[in-house]
Amino acid sequence: MAKSEIQNRIRRLRFDHGEMTQQQLADKARVTRQTIIAIEAGKYAPSLPLAFRIAAAFGLPLEEVFQYTANGDAPPDD
Amino acid sequence: MNREQKRAWALVVGMSLALLFVIIAGLLHLLDVGWSRPFVCAAAVALGAGVIACLRVKPDTGAVTSDERDKEIEKSAYLAGFGAVYLFVIVVSFAPIAILGEDGSIPVKYMPGLLLGAGLCQAYAMSIATLVKYGRGGDRHE
Repeated sequence: MAKSEIQNRIRRLRFDHGEMTQQQLADKARVTRQTIIAIEAGKYAPSLPLAFRIAAAFGLPLEEVFQYTANGDAPPDD
Repeated sequence: MNREQKRAWALVVGMSLALLFVIIAGLLHLLDVGWSRPFVCAAAVALGAGVIACLRVKPDTGAVTSDERDKEIEKSAYLAGFGAVYLFVIVVSFAPIAILGEDGSIPVKYMPGLLLGAGLCQAYAMSIATLVKYGRGGDRHE
């Protein structure tokens, strides 16, 4: 399966934010936990409003949570 | 696994079993072995059980039970259902000619059955599409 062009650092950020659970993030972003799982796994590209809500849940700008890579390569993780 | 997945599983299992029993009944009838009626009854029971199980799935709990991804998957499922009905209509339009020949005829009493067939076809395709889009099972807990 081709990698998504939208990469994200949600998993890392969750653990950096007090080991936030997927359910807690889902509640903050007003989506189901399944959707958070799908986004984390790169199986679903969120809409722009949802991407902003997820970024807001971490208190970070959008580009620090989601990255666009033209060829689907994973961005360097810090 | 969410409510839609559970409903889709119930329908897919029930309808698949029903289809299997109908095929067996048809073969037994064609081969003139007898015993086809119990298989038709079993198919009806399997289909009924699937529909009842589908209707009895409890609603999801939690603050958010549906979001943009669920709506997108629902749209895909409806599209798959529409495609399946379209395919069904094409097949049943040409199947009598292919089987009976150009001069063949079928009793009009079978015509209302096409509506039921199209409905079942749509439900099956929608359930399959739902399971494909969501994935077959549950998800990781963290």
